[in-house]
This record gives sequence, structure tokens and C-alpha cells, in this order.
Amino acid sequence: MALNTLEFDLKAEGGSQVVKTLVHTGVVGSSDMEVLMEPKDLGGSVSVRIVTPVSGFDDLWKRVLETFVTRNALADLRLEINDNNATPAVVLLRLQQALSEAAGN
Amino acid sequence: MPNWKNLQEQSFLESNARERAIGLVDEGTFTELAGPVDRRCSPHLEVLGEAVEFDDGIVTGVGRVGVTPVFVVSQEGRFIGGSVGEVGGAKMVNTIRLATEFHDKLVAEHPDLTDAEKPVVVISFETGGVRLHEANAGLLAHAEVMDQLQRARGKVPVIAVIGSKVGCFGGMGFVAAATDAIVMSEFGRLGLTGPEVIEQEMGKEEFDSGDRALVFRTTGGKHKYVMGDCNFLVADSIAAFRAQIAELAPLPVSEFEAMRRIGSPEKVEKQLRAVALAAEMHPDDARDVWAKAGNAEPVSLTDMPLADFLAQVKRLSV
Repeated sequence: MALNTLEFDLKAEGGSQVVKTLVHTGVVGSSDMEVLMEPKDLGGSVSVRIVTPVSGFDDLWKRVLETFVTRNALADLRLEINDNNATPAVVLLRLQQALSEAAGN
Repeated sequence: MPNWKNLQEQSFLESNARERAIGLVDEGTFTELAGPVDRRCSPHLEVLGEAVEFDDGIVTGVGRVGVTPVFVVSQEGRFIGGSVGEVGGAKMVNTIRLATEFHDKLVAEHPDLTDAEKPVVVISFETGGVRLHEANAGLLAHAEVMDQLQRARGKVPVIAVIGSKVGCFGGMGFVAAATDAIVMSEFGRLGLTGPEVIEQEMGKEEFDSGDRALVFRTTGGKHKYVMGDCNFLVADSIAAFRAQIAELAPLPVSEFEAMRRIGSPEKVEKQLRAVALAAEMHPDDARDVWAKAGNAEPVSLTDMPLADFLAQVKRLSV
């Protein structure tokens, strides 16, 4: 019954450090999530930590995060997500929102 | 961080806790304390397998309004109904404590400080009270907040602002009542037992929580303004709430004392007169009380635009 914690590293082809400052976006409402994005020297990797009450979707989480990281060519980044049953579309949307906030938009 | 200028005209009702916290103080002055970066999640929710949040649903920090230091507490209704547990409660308690300690230090070092330069606390309520998942810790948190309000009293004015979706109910309804001044919008709701709970306990005949018009004219800002349960009624924008805070911030504590609802034998007697009036009147509806207060056409008050309402309404005096 305890919360499910997923930890994994991702690497994008030709990724660069896009995020320069720490950003926090989102509220852990029902079917929603929050993310903390933090630039970190990880030798080009993106390290991810997801805390969610949902279990059995570990592969899907990984695919969604992979899509986000490759699409935006990200590197040297730490992502920490607190989830409350967000769907993959919402996850991508929130991550993209955080990224555009990091870019100062 | 959200753009301060864009926040000002944003609906207070639709703003999240952090947007309210940032927007209620002057541009660029908000510093968050114990924020998401500190990753203080609830240990109880984790054990229960419930989703956690880095700020535990409460944003705390300090900013400025004019020359007044403002300590801010802002509750997030979308995270488990804005319920207050151990971590969020501790954040509330320590923000008020910090304000009081800051006040004492400031006054000791600068005896010639004006009232405007002394700190105030602003609490933006959006909560149903105790987080049942952490019942004892949550209850204790309520008691500790009450204790801090008493310690702040006469030194640091505490202003409650209520205009968010969840309203302010349960134990936090008591806490709000124990602050010095309450600012509401007509969409704000304030009470002890929430509408759903009344229906559940007493039946739909007694109170139909699905009847939104009934819920709002019993717990909403306009009714609370007529009853004297809130001191000020403002428009639904962050700017309007901020303007009211800016007006209150420079006042001496003695003026806040007069705005209180509880806390002196005279106030208790006034409350008792209101109880006696209710027993004598047996009102069936909030409108009966509005009429008693001297509003000839109580039905028209509900949909009246705010400016007209404030110009015309008669408030109950007991």
C-alpha cells in the first residue's frame, strides 16, 4: 500500500543543459502532479524520481519521460515528480509547462 | 514563478495557493519559507500510500505591502481539500511564531517604529480543516495555531482572507474566527460544519448541500458580511484582496482589536445576543435575518453587483 517510487536515468541524443535554474510547477490535485526541475551535473544524463500511488505502470512512466527528454533534447537535469493519478497526457503537459517556465516564458 | 502583474487581475477564486501568496504582497517581495525545494512531505500520507506534495499543501513565506512586513500563509484546496496535517500545520504555526518574534525583536531594537512598519500576518484559507489521515497530528496543529494567534494578539495583527473554492470550514473555521480581521469575496465561504457534513448528519430536509444558492446564502461572503462574521467584502481578484490588506496593514493593533468577533467579555455578550435573537426569530432562511437587519427586499441582495450591494446593504446589529 505504500507509495510507489520509481528512479531511473535517461539520456537524449545531442542533449544539452536547457534548464539553468530550479523550477517548481503544478499542484498535486486529483489526476494532477507537481514537478521540481533542477539543473545538475550528471554527465549528460537526466535523472528521474517519481512518487505515485499508482503501481503497474512503470514502463509507461518511463516511455512518457523518455518522450519528454528526447523531444526537448535535455541533459544534466534532475526531475522529481509527485503524482496523484495523472494521465500520460497531463504528465507531458505539466513537464512542458515547467520547461517553458524555466525558459522564462 | 508566476508573473506578478498578470496575477493581479486574476480571479482569486481560481488562483492556487502559491499564486495567492505571491500576488497578495508587493511585486517581487515574496520569499517562500519551507517551500517545495525543502521537500517536506507528509510522512503519514506516505505510509498510507496517498499522494504527497513537496509543500504539504501550504505555502508559507514573507513579503511586503508598502512598508509593512507581511508574513503569509496560503492553503491549497486542490491538495486533499486543503486539509491541515502535521507538516502543513507546523508551517502555519511557525510562520505566525516567526512574525511575533520578529515583531518583538524589531520593537526592542527600534522603539520609534510606526504602526505601518510593524509586521502583520495574512492567512489565505482554503480548507476543510483537519486532515483525517493524520487525525491527532492535524488536531494538535489546529490547537497550536490557536495558541500562536493568542501569542500574536495585541502585537501582530492576523488578517484572514477567504475567497477560494473550498471555502474555510471545520477546525479552520474556528481558527479564522479567532483572527483579528476577516476579508472575503462573495464567492468565499466560511463556516464550521460544511454543507455536505450537515446534510449527511441531519438529512436533506434540514440542509440540501446540492442547492448551491442555499449554500452560498448560508455560508457565502455576502451573508457573512450582513452577519458581521466578516469585516470586509471585496471583489474577486487578487488585486482587490491586496488593496484591502494594504488599507489594513498600517493600522494600530487597537483598531484590529475592535474588528475581532471573539476575545473579550463584551464580544461574548454580543455573540450571546445574536444567539438570543436566533432563538426568538426562528429564521427558516438566511433571508429572514437579512430582512431583520433592515433589508426590505432580501431576495434582491443575492444577485446584486458588489458595488450596489455594499452601498445598499444593512448589516445586522445586535
